[in-house]
Amino acid sequence: MLADAIAAERFRLSRDRTALFWGFAFAPLIAMLFSMGIDIFTRAVLHRTIPGETTDLANRAMGAVAGASGPFTALFLLIGAAAIFAGDYRWETWRLITPRNSRTNLLAAKLIVFAEVAAWSLLFTAFTAVLAGLFSSLVNQTRLVAPPGGSAFLGHFAGVFLITWLEVMLVGALAGLVGVVTRSTMGAVIAGLVVVFVQSTLAATMQATTWKSLAIPAYAGRILKAFVAAPDEMRPEAGPAGLALLLLLAWLAVLAAGAVTLFRRQDLTKE
Amino acid sequence: MSFALEAESLVKTYGAVRALDGLSLRIPAGGVFGVLGPNGAGKSTLFRIALGLVRPTSGTARLFGAPAGQASSLRRAGAMIETPRYPPYLTARDVLRMLAMESGATGSADIDYWLERVGLGGAADRKAGTFSVGMKQRLGLAAAFFTRPELVILDEPTSGMDPAGIQEIRALIRDLADKEGVTIILASHQLDEVRRVCDRVAIFSKGKLAAEGDVEALTGGKPRLRLTVSPADKALAVLGAKGQADGPNAVLADVLRAETPALIRALVEAGVEITEARWREGDLESAYLGALEPSSNKTGNLADAR
Repeated sequence: MLADAIAAERFRLSRDRTALFWGFAFAPLIAMLFSMGIDIFTRAVLHRTIPGETTDLANRAMGAVAGASGPFTALFLLIGAAAIFAGDYRWETWRLITPRNSRTNLLAAKLIVFAEVAAWSLLFTAFTAVLAGLFSSLVNQTRLVAPPGGSAFLGHFAGVFLITWLEVMLVGALAGLVGVVTRSTMGAVIAGLVVVFVQSTLAATMQATTWKSLAIPAYAGRILKAFVAAPDEMRPEAGPAGLALLLLLAWLAVLAAGAVTLFRRQDLTKE
Repeated sequence: MSFALEAESLVKTYGAVRALDGLSLRIPAGGVFGVLGPNGAGKSTLFRIALGLVRPTSGTARLFGAPAGQASSLRRAGAMIETPRYPPYLTARDVLRMLAMESGATGSADIDYWLERVGLGGAADRKAGTFSVGMKQRLGLAAAFFTRPELVILDEPTSGMDPAGIQEIRALIRDLADKEGVTIILASHQLDEVRRVCDRVAIFSKGKLAAEGDVEALTGGKPRLRLTVSPADKALAVLGAKGQADGPNAVLADVLRAETPALIRALVEAGVEITEARWREGDLESAYLGALEPSSNKTGNLADAR
């Protein structure tokens, strides 16, 4: 059953501290330490403070979450995803596992567990951004303020969180597909990183919102985030945003279905 | 008669290599069934097909009457295929816990009991990645048996183990088959192991079934006394119809164990010098090599068999 496969995968990942740390905790931690380091350097070495009178912790958290689908974070997420999706090729452990559950369940469980841990990683990103903000406020002696818009902010944050999570799921599903095809953790990381880098670069060069630009996940993510969180005057139309969402979901479905289909047909001769 | 594993005209090709070449075999439920053959004969491929790890090119394989690889039939089977490997971050206990979860058998699997039974009680909380080959084999055996399946497929279960461990595992296999009614399919290159543990044997050669039968029938039946003597012709004269030359300085005596002292006395009285007397059990090696003879290189197979 799928529930059994999920429980086993979750248990297993809970024991793989290396993958958990490097894949899902390192990027938020290093971003926090980097931010703190800049505050300390500016204050202690340059004897200045970072300009501004206020620190908006909530917006800092949302900004950090929104940026978590970028290439830097993707590198580490790919390490975690590769450990989940391609670990059984690396350790040659499929032969222990596949006779105990269906292949569809096994791969679906990996995708679901990746989804869970990716969500926790994004929450951790928000938490570390808040810690970094508090530290910055202390060092720069700025006043803590609530985000503009009050309770509407929660909706914006939830929207940005879900869109980033969807983008991160694409990274995971890509690692799953490449992991199955190459039977290699390194292959999943490198090929995944190349794809993430190329599509981020392409998205940055796109000027007009067309269906072609929206087909680039990084661009679609940007449009969607602007749709849920940008001020009214900068908010894109609902049509392109809806299409962006559909295309992101379609990418996820294609990558996940591709990984499952190939895995179901794959001969495990060595693993 | 019910069958644990059935293969019908099974073919598996990997590019130009034909790992299984129309193999047909029926392995009855109950007892220990040995599968012999040189490297590349198709033993592991058959097991991988049975367990759904590999898909046949053509033909069918069935586990307990259901198509191999289906969840319903796999739930009744346990296996250890080749040298087992484990995620290095899991302890021995974690490995079994994970596998129990994967099978949905967390309630019925007695992890500690099986770790003790395979001799890993003291290493249950050690990372499996740090285990020696023998310990990995033991953990693989626990993983194969601990959900109490009706059929267990073991591919080289004692490779890398010390002699005491080998004896222990052989006893465990025989015990599970005799007392708990588990059907065990055992592939091994150790002919002596197969002879001691198995009830029936199949010999594979180049992806085909070369021979199959009861171990006793294949090995030529009862044991014989082998004597290293000088001169051999005088010994053969004493033995008469019960004797047979086995090289220039040895004879095989077809006698009962109880007749041994009298026979040796008679030989000594006839002036025959005896430098060694040893009971030779059924000769599986000859049966094995004989089965491979028509289709393969004898020297190569002999080396593989050892």
